[in-house]
Amino acid sequence: MAIQVSGITKQFGSFRALDSVDLEVRSGELLALLGPSGSGKTTLLRIMAGLEFADSGSLQLHGEEALGLSPRERQVGFVFQHYALFRHMTVFDNVAFGLKVRPRGQRFTTAEIRRRVMELLELVQLAHFADRYPAQLSGGQRQRVALARALAIEPKVLLLDEPFGALDAKVRKELRRWLRKLHEDIHITSVFVTHDQEEALELADRVVVMSQGRIEQVGSPAEVYDRPASAFVYEFLGQVNRFDCVVADGVAKAANGAICIPADGTVRGPAIAYVRPHDLGLSPSAGGPGRVSGIHVVGPDARVEIDLAGLPLEAEMDRERLSVLGLRPGDQCAVHIDRARVFPQP
Amino acid sequence: MVAATTSDTVLPSPGGTVLSVLRKPSVLPGFGLTLGFTLAYLGLIVLLPLAALALKAAGLGWSGFWNAVLTPRVLAAFQVSFGLSLAAAAVNAVFGFIVAWVLVRYRFPGDRIVDALVDLPFALPTAVAGIALSALYAPNGWIGSLLMDWFGMKVAFTPLGIAIALTFIGLPFVVRTVQPILQDLPPEEEEAAAALGATRWQTFRRIVFPALLPALLTGFALAFARGVGEYGSVIFIAGNIPGLSEIIPLLIVIKLEQYDYAGAAAVGMLMLMASFVLLLALNLLQAWMRSRHAR
Repeated sequence: MAIQVSGITKQFGSFRALDSVDLEVRSGELLALLGPSGSGKTTLLRIMAGLEFADSGSLQLHGEEALGLSPRERQVGFVFQHYALFRHMTVFDNVAFGLKVRPRGQRFTTAEIRRRVMELLELVQLAHFADRYPAQLSGGQRQRVALARALAIEPKVLLLDEPFGALDAKVRKELRRWLRKLHEDIHITSVFVTHDQEEALELADRVVVMSQGRIEQVGSPAEVYDRPASAFVYEFLGQVNRFDCVVADGVAKAANGAICIPADGTVRGPAIAYVRPHDLGLSPSAGGPGRVSGIHVVGPDARVEIDLAGLPLEAEMDRERLSVLGLRPGDQCAVHIDRARVFPQP
Repeated sequence: MVAATTSDTVLPSPGGTVLSVLRKPSVLPGFGLTLGFTLAYLGLIVLLPLAALALKAAGLGWSGFWNAVLTPRVLAAFQVSFGLSLAAAAVNAVFGFIVAWVLVRYRFPGDRIVDALVDLPFALPTAVAGIALSALYAPNGWIGSLLMDWFGMKVAFTPLGIAIALTFIGLPFVVRTVQPILQDLPPEEEEAAAALGATRWQTFRRIVFPALLPALLTGFALAFARGVGEYGSVIFIAGNIPGLSEIIPLLIVIKLEQYDYAGAAAVGMLMLMASFVLLLALNLLQAWMRSRHAR
C-alpha cells in the first residue's frame, strides 16, 4: 500500500471540506480523484502532500505515519494546476532545484545533477529548451517542465492537482495520452485530481468519485461508469436521463406506464430512475408511444430527443444507426430501455 | 511582372506624418494627443527648470565650472550627501523589507495602524521631523543622552545623525514598493519549493527574494534619490560643519545666500548629473533583471 488515508477530516470555518475520508492508494497505480468543485478532492491531495493540515485522522505513506511530517520530509512530487514554475529560473534550474537544495551530505555533484536533469528533460521532450525561461514556453511545455521538476527528487508518490486544467482542449488531450504512456514506463504511484470525468475515465487505473467531502465510490473506470453506486455518481459521470417514477412490486413505472423498469427490492414508492442515452433503444413504429421531437448530429454521433407521453428523454446512437432507422422529427417510435437504475428519492 | 504587381499595391500612406511611423497599429485611441501632452508637460515641468539650471551653470564657462565645483568643501559635501544617502537607503532596504514582509504575511492586532504609520514620514513636514530627531538624539535628549552615557556615542550634529534623518524619511519608499509585489506573489511557488525539499530559508533565498529584488531595488533607488535631495530634516540634526556634516543642498543654499548664483547652479548641476547617472544605472539593472523573467 503506497498511501493509506484513514478518517481524515478537515474543516474550513463552518465548511466541512473532508468528512472522515478513508482511502487506499495501491503501489504503482494511477488514481483519479474526481468530483465537482467543493467536493474536497484538492484538499485531500494537499493534505497528502503536507501543504494542508488535517484536523483529525491518519495518513500513512509507505507504512510510515506522515501527518506530522513537513512536505520536504515526505518526498512527494507535487504538480500544480498553474505550473508554479520558478519564473526567474531557466527550465534547467527549475528541474535542478530539488536536487540543489538537498542537505550537503546527500547532494549530488554538479555533473551528476546536470546528467539527471538532462535525462529528465529528455524524458519530457524538452531538452533543447533547457536554457529558456518559463515565460517563453507554452502551457503544455510548462506543465511538462513542472512534471520533470517533481520527478527530479525521485518521489515515492506523484501528486497532480488538476494538471491539465489550465490547458486548451487539444493540448490537454495530447498531454493526457503522454502522461498515461509515461506512467506505463516509470510506474510511479500517482494521484491526480480532476473535475473532468472523461479525463478520469481515460487516464486512471482506478477512479475515486467524491462529493461534499465524502467518497461516493471507488472503482475501475468501467465499474464506476457501468455500475454507479449512488445517484450522485450516475449524474456526475456521463450523460444521463433522470426522471421520477413510482416503484411497486419490484417494477418502476414512469410516463403513465409507458416505461417499466425492474427495480431491486429495497426501493419502494416514489423513486428516481436513471438511464444513459446510449442505453435507450428506438425503433420506428407508427403506433409507438414516443414521438421524435428533435435530432442533433454531432460529428459521428446523433442525439435524438424523444417525447414519451410528456416525458422528455434523450437517446444517443451513431449516425449510421440513425439512418438505418430512418427516424425523422415528428415520427412516432417505440422505446426500449436496455439498462437502467432506480434509486430511492433522496 | 514586378511592375504589374507594384502598380496596384501603391497605397496612400495613412496619415503620412512622423507619428504614424512610430505608432504600432492599435485600437487604443489618442496616441498623438497623449504623446504630445506628455512631452509638452515633461518639458515644461521637468526639463525647463533643469535647462535653466544648466544655462546658469554654463555662464561660468568650462574652467569656471570646474573651479567652482572642485573645491574641497564641495567635494566633501558630495561625499557626505551621496555616501550617507546610499547608506540610509541600504538600511531602509533591509528594514523596510522586513516591515513590508510582516505587514503582508502576518495578521496581528493593530496591523492597520502600523501600516498607516509607515506613511507618516511622507506626510510630516521634514523640518518637524528634523527638530524632533535632533531633540531626541542631542547629547541631552532622551536617546542621545543614553547613547552618550553607555557608549560615549555622539549622534546629533555628526554624519550619523544625518544618516538617521535620511533613514527616517526614506523608509516609506521601500515599504510601499515591496509591499504590493509581495502581496501578489503566488503562494504556489513557495509550496512547490517546500514540496521539492527546500527549507524555509532556502525557499526565501532562492524563490521569494529574487522575485522581490526588482521592487526592492526600485525602493532603494527612490529612498536614495529622496535622501540626496533632502534638506529640511537634515539641517537641524547635522550640525552642518563644513567638510564633515554639510550636505550639498545646504551648501547650495549657503552659496545662494552669498549671492553666488552661478556657483550654486554649478554645484546643483553636478549633483543633478551624479544623481541621474546613479538612477539610470539602477534602472538599467532593474530592466535587465525584469527581462530575465518577464511574463
